[in-house]
Amino acid sequence: MALPSIALPGQLLGPANKYAPGPGTHIHNAQIHASIAGPVATSPQTAPKSSTTTPNSATKPLPLLSVRRKEDAQDGSILGTSSSGNSTILPEVDSIVLARITRLGPRFASLEILIINNAVCSAPFSGLIRREDIRATEKDKIRVEDCFRVGDLVRGVVISLGDQSNYYVSTARNEYGVVMATSREGRPMFPVSWKEFRDPVTGRGEGRKVAKPF
Amino acid sequence: MPLDTSTYSLALLRLDGRRWNELRRIHAQISTQAAADGSSYLEMGNTKVLCSVTGPWEGRQTGQKGGKDNEAKVEVEIGFAGFSGIERRRRKQDKRTAEMQHCLKTAYEGVLVTHLYPHSTISLNLHILSQDGSLLAACINAATLALIDAGVPMTDYLCACTAASSATSSESDNSDPLLDLNNLEEQELPFLTVGTLGRSEKVSVLMLETRVRMERVEGMLAVGIEGCKRVREILDGVVKGYGKRFT
Repeated sequence: MALPSIALPGQLLGPANKYAPGPGTHIHNAQIHASIAGPVATSPQTAPKSSTTTPNSATKPLPLLSVRRKEDAQDGSILGTSSSGNSTILPEVDSIVLARITRLGPRFASLEILIINNAVCSAPFSGLIRREDIRATEKDKIRVEDCFRVGDLVRGVVISLGDQSNYYVSTARNEYGVVMATSREGRPMFPVSWKEFRDPVTGRGEGRKVAKPF
Repeated sequence: MPLDTSTYSLALLRLDGRRWNELRRIHAQISTQAAADGSSYLEMGNTKVLCSVTGPWEGRQTGQKGGKDNEAKVEVEIGFAGFSGIERRRRKQDKRTAEMQHCLKTAYEGVLVTHLYPHSTISLNLHILSQDGSLLAACINAATLALIDAGVPMTDYLCACTAASSATSSESDNSDPLLDLNNLEEQELPFLTVGTLGRSEKVSVLMLETRVRMERVEGMLAVGIEGCKRVREILDGVVKGYGKRFT
């Protein structure tokens, strides 16, 4: 039987001994069915290396059968009119994130991740910056309240998926750190050096771990 | 001039002119809200339901994240508009709404492939705009369309329908069961709501609250399952019609 070009959930795609199930499919009664609605794609798998035990009978690998979302193939712009939040955006290691500081402690700063790799999250993820991950130099002399303040917007990179409830974020490079800060009087400040923001009205400086502008 | 319904009983027609095995008019749309991950709008006769799906997402900060055994948790919220019934509704939540929410939650935990998203939450928000019977069935059909729009993996369509017994108490009466009730028929007759999975006849949802003779339940079930098959064809047409816009 020929494969359909577009599958719907529950639609029979083929037998399990003819195809290998990929993303968007599931096996039921030795048959591969579609799990989501979208176009069907088959890709031939590479031969496994462990077939050297039987060199005579060259077993042909099964092609992989997968169903993708239609929006995944397109360019997912943030301002798209369709539901651009359909793809599941999760922070991964080495993702560049934009986050807002929510809480300060003596050895960490809590934040909520708002943007992951230029994609806006539909719900914020909670993260943590430890004191050792704030700067690349002089890690023992760092005070957290001299680097961040509650409400600052911080650019960082995810270094670990962390524990059950927090991702671990690092700002230990020059281009990571605070990108937007608000002064004590409530005005947005501009960066003047690698460790200071300044209020445009009063001229008073406040210490931050400043991100290098692009 | 009002509609003359005096000959309906002679031709075995119901109050709204349908025969015993006819569905009401079903109209559905998907992707009705750009802000939600998946959304749908469904009309079954005069019962109108909006559904939006969020997720799989992280869930709220407080409490346990995700479901047990490393599976996603399904959350259902049903809201009734104050203007949805004949009399204006004041109380937001009651036991009947909580029971419907629990019924939908357990139904979709069995249909969705939740082990793919551990520690996540899939939220279903349903808003009832107008009530005219078969409310649980309309919620299930609207939620199925919204979950397909959101791209949440599921084994098959979950389609629901209602069936009633119009038989009297005499044993020799062999009246046909009725399909897809409206509000008047729900108040008068014993009825059940049945939801099946796709083309198979596997029953995933069954709710029967009224008193009915036991030998009539099988006939009601058979008619309800046939109605679910027809509902599935209608929902399938809606999804395919929406998919044609992309190709």
